[in-house]
Amino acid sequence: MSDPRAPLPGTAYYTYGVVPLDFSSAALDGAQGLGERPVEIVTGEKAAALTSVVSLDEFGEEPLRANLNDRDWLERAARAHEEVLERALADAPVIPFRLCTVYRGREQVLELLSERGATFAELLDRLRGTVELGVKAYLDRARFLEAAGAAPAPASPSGREYMLRRQRERTLDEEREQFKAECGRSSHERLAAVALAAQANPPQPPEVSGRTDEMLLNGAYLVEAAHGALADAVAELEQTYGPRGVSYELTGPWPPYNFVPRELAET
Amino acid sequence: MTESLDRPLEQQITLLELVDRVLNKGVVLSGDIMLSVADVDLVYVGLRVLLASVGTLERLHEEP
Repeated sequence: MSDPRAPLPGTAYYTYGVVPLDFSSAALDGAQGLGERPVEIVTGEKAAALTSVVSLDEFGEEPLRANLNDRDWLERAARAHEEVLERALADAPVIPFRLCTVYRGREQVLELLSERGATFAELLDRLRGTVELGVKAYLDRARFLEAAGAAPAPASPSGREYMLRRQRERTLDEEREQFKAECGRSSHERLAAVALAAQANPPQPPEVSGRTDEMLLNGAYLVEAAHGALADAVAELEQTYGPRGVSYELTGPWPPYNFVPRELAET
Repeated sequence: MTESLDRPLEQQITLLELVDRVLNKGVVLSGDIMLSVADVDLVYVGLRVLLASVGTLERLHEEP
């Protein structure tokens, strides 16, 4: 007889994140998740984990290395991971794990829940009733220059005109950098004032943001699930800084990726 | 052109935002009860693949 607690050969337990014990499994109805079988809730004494049985052919260390390099695989995994957490979030607080957190078997997931159960429960209590929203702000360079009153270049400038123009351009570059820093800081302060917690991440360079406009704010905000105040604050900021070429992008609600510790101590 | 490149730019950027969160944020656990942890290098490799495709897409949009 084989040990019934031993992991199924060729499979492992993909773990999306952790929910409280009062989580209703109905929230996951229709969730596809990863793997062939429905999402499985593994219940410990103080918290429960959202898991899927996955194949080692896909999630074993070597295949995973290759799969993370495959754009389509990465997209499918990221969307499935997020979908399960978002459905859960509609019903209860969740602690999101990083993509591709995989345990050997059910027994090992239970071990995790028993080792860190108290930490999970405490964190879930703090997160109850909240969601994460993302706000990014971008500066349109042409609109900024227009607002700053930069004149278009004359068709055939004289030497003196050229020198004056170069000087003016340098001043405008400095002004723009200064404005970006100030606008980013004051926008974050304004948004943080209506949030329970706030996190300013480094603005992404254009090659990462996928936009030509310069990012000046890359913020995440933990807010009450009914989050009107943050959207109102974004609208106000648009009014204040819009005329100078700034636009804001509000995303979410997200599971609180930015408001869970990177590492959790054992309890 | 592959299917994923047919989708609009907006959706690609949302995906980027998503991948940024699921790979760079969230709880990271480690220990011998885990099967595999995508280490930081792997994460950057994965993100680079995605960024490269977004860059490609943007150029496709700019060229009529």
